[in-house]
Amino acid sequence: MEKINCDGKTSREINVEIRQLIKQGTPKIQVLSPLARHNLAVGLLEPVELIFEGSVGYYCGGMIDGPQVTINGSAGWGLGECMMNGTFIVNGNVGNSAAASIRGGTMVVHGDAGARAGIAMKGGLLIVEGNCGTMAGFMMQKGTLIICGHSSDALADSMYEGTVYLGGEARSLGNDTKVSEPDEPDQNFLKRTLLQFGISADRPFKKIVSGRRLWNFERQEFEIWKEVL
Amino acid sequence: MEGSSVAEKAVLRHSRIWRPEIIEDIQAKAELGRYRFRGFSALLSRALPSFDDLTFIPCTLTRIPLEGYREKCSTKTVLGTRFARKPIELDIPIMVTGMSFGALSYNAKVALARAANRTGTSTTTGDGGMLPAERENSKTLIYEVLPSRYGFNIHHMKMANAIELTVGQGAKPGTGGVLLGAKVSEQISKTRDLPPGVDQRSPCRHPDWMGPDDMVIKIEELREATDWQVPIFVKMGATRVFDDVKLAAKAGADVVVVDGMEGGTGASPDVLLDHTGIPTLAAVCEARAALEDIGLYGQVQLIIAGGIRSGADAAKALSLGADAVYLGTATLIALNCNKPIYVEDYHKLGTEPYACHHCHTGRCPVGITTQDPELVARLEINAATDRVVNLFNALCAEIQMLARSCGKADVHDLEPEDLRALTLEASMIAGVPLVGTNKVFGGGPGWKRAT
Repeated sequence: MEKINCDGKTSREINVEIRQLIKQGTPKIQVLSPLARHNLAVGLLEPVELIFEGSVGYYCGGMIDGPQVTINGSAGWGLGECMMNGTFIVNGNVGNSAAASIRGGTMVVHGDAGARAGIAMKGGLLIVEGNCGTMAGFMMQKGTLIICGHSSDALADSMYEGTVYLGGEARSLGNDTKVSEPDEPDQNFLKRTLLQFGISADRPFKKIVSGRRLWNFERQEFEIWKEVL
Repeated sequence: MEGSSVAEKAVLRHSRIWRPEIIEDIQAKAELGRYRFRGFSALLSRALPSFDDLTFIPCTLTRIPLEGYREKCSTKTVLGTRFARKPIELDIPIMVTGMSFGALSYNAKVALARAANRTGTSTTTGDGGMLPAERENSKTLIYEVLPSRYGFNIHHMKMANAIELTVGQGAKPGTGGVLLGAKVSEQISKTRDLPPGVDQRSPCRHPDWMGPDDMVIKIEELREATDWQVPIFVKMGATRVFDDVKLAAKAGADVVVVDGMEGGTGASPDVLLDHTGIPTLAAVCEARAALEDIGLYGQVQLIIAGGIRSGADAAKALSLGADAVYLGTATLIALNCNKPIYVEDYHKLGTEPYACHHCHTGRCPVGITTQDPELVARLEINAATDRVVNLFNALCAEIQMLARSCGKADVHDLEPEDLRALTLEASMIAGVPLVGTNKVFGGGPGWKRAT
C-alpha cells in the first residue's frame, strides 16, 4: 500500500499523484489528511482501493467506474455522483446529493446523509445507516435506496422506478409514492445486504415504490398533477 | 330591404384580442386540462427584435472592401483558449447545437455528425447521452452534462473534445426537457434508464449542485476528470444574461453559450416557448457587455444560439461579439423538416408543411424527430448529410461575403461599427447608430475589442 500525504498540496496535485500510482499498478492507496479538499479521485476507471484518512469535500470519487473507496471521515456534496461501478464506505456523514444519478455500484454511509440522497439514481445501491435529509430518492429511476433511520420531507418524490426501504419514519412522503410492507424476498434482501456491511436489519422497514400515476399525462388525475406539473 | 342590403355588404370582423388561434388554444386547453406541448420554436404573432433589425454598412470610400468573390477571408474558429490544454479548432464559426438521440432519430443524428465532420465543425450530444455512431462520425464532439444526466457515461465524456455543462436552454429556460412517451422507445428507455413509453420530464436543476458557487467546484471536477485537457462550455437560456454570463465566466468556463428565446426544442410546454427568455439579438449584446465588464471578453469565447437562420444572422451575431453560432432548427430544416413531401402524414397530424411543429408527437413525417423505424427510414443519411453540408457551406460563404464587403479578411474581425440599426429599439439594444442619425439611442453594450 502506498501513501499520499495531502499536506500543502492542491486537489490537482493529489489527483496527479493518485493517477501516477494507479498507472504504476499500485492496488491500494492511503490518502492522509485530505482536509475536505474537493474533487479528489474523480473520474477514475481502475479497480484501485482508496482509503481517505479524514474528511473529503465535494464530489469525491465522482464519475468513477471501478474503484473501492473508504472514507474514514465525512464527505461533502455529490459523493460518488454518476458512479458507473465501484464501492464507497463512509465512516461518517455525507452532505447533499450523495450517490446522485449513479448508474451502478454501492455506497454505504454509516452516518447521516444531507438532502437529496440518491437523487435521480439510475441503478446501484445506496445505504444510509442513519437519517436522511429532504427529498431523498427524488426522481429516482432505478436502483435501491435503503435508509435505516428517519427521513425528512418529500421522501421518494416523483420516482420513475427503483425501490426505497425506510427503517424509521418519514416526515412526509413525496408525490406518487406507494408504501407497502416488505415481503419475504424483500426481508431476505435487506438482511443479506445490510449484514455484509455490519448493519442490523432488525428494523420495521417499509417499502416505497412509484405509484406510477405520474408516468403519463392523464387529465383525470389533476389532484396529483396540480402538485407537480 | 334595407336590412338585407346591409347584410350583403357585411364583412367578417375578427377581434385582434380573440384571434382564431387564441380561441383554438382556449378550447384545446378546455379539453386537455393541462398545458399544451409542442416542438419547434416560438410561434408568437408579435415580431421580436431580431437580427433583421440591423443592416451592414459595407465599405465605400471611408473603408476599402476586399474582393468579394476572390480574396481570402478566414473562418477559422478557436474555442476554449482560457484553461484547456486542447482548445477546439474549427474551420467555420457555425456549429451544431445539442439535440438528443431521442428527440432526433438515429439517421438525423448521424447525418448531422457527418455533415459537421465534412465541414470541419462540431456536433453536440444532447440530453440523452452519447450515441456511439455520433462519436464515430464526428471529429469534434461536445459532450453535454445536463441536469438529467440521462445516459451519462464517464467513458463517453472522456472521449469528447469539449464538455458542455448545460444550465438551461433558450426554448424553455428554467425548465427541463420533455420527451413524451411516444418517443421513449425500447432503445431510448435503455439509454436513459427509464421505463419504455413513459412521459419523460427532465429536471432543470443539476442533482449535485445548485448555484454559481457550487458550479465553480463542479467545473473543476469536470476538468479533473478529463485531466484539464478539453474546454468546458457553460450553456444557458437567455434570461438575466448580463449577470448570468459573468457568473459562468467567473466560475471558470472556457466558453459561454447563450441560447435566445427563438431557440428550438423537440418538446416543450407551449407557454414557455412563447413567453420566456429574451431574444437572441438582445442576448448577444448583453453577453458581450458582461464579458467586457469583467475584463474577459476575448479570453472567454462566446457562442450564440437561438433562431440563427442565415449567414446574415450569423455575421451579425459575430459582429456584435459572438465567436461562433450554434445551429439547431436550421439544420433540421436542411434535413427536410417542414418540406412538402409525405404531405398526407402532415395532414394526419392536423398540420401541413411549413407550419409543422409536431416534433413532440414522434410522428415526424420526414423521419427527423421520430423513433418509428418506418418514418426514420424516410431520412436517407447520405443525402441528408449532403444537404446540411451544403447549408453550412452556403451560410459560411454568406458570412464571408458580408465580411469582405466590410473590408475584413477574417470573419471574426466583424464589429458593431459595421452595423446600423433599422429600428429605434434595435439601436437601443445593440448600441449601434440608428440609420440616418449617426446616433446611438440607449447605452448599448459598448464595443471595445480585446487586445
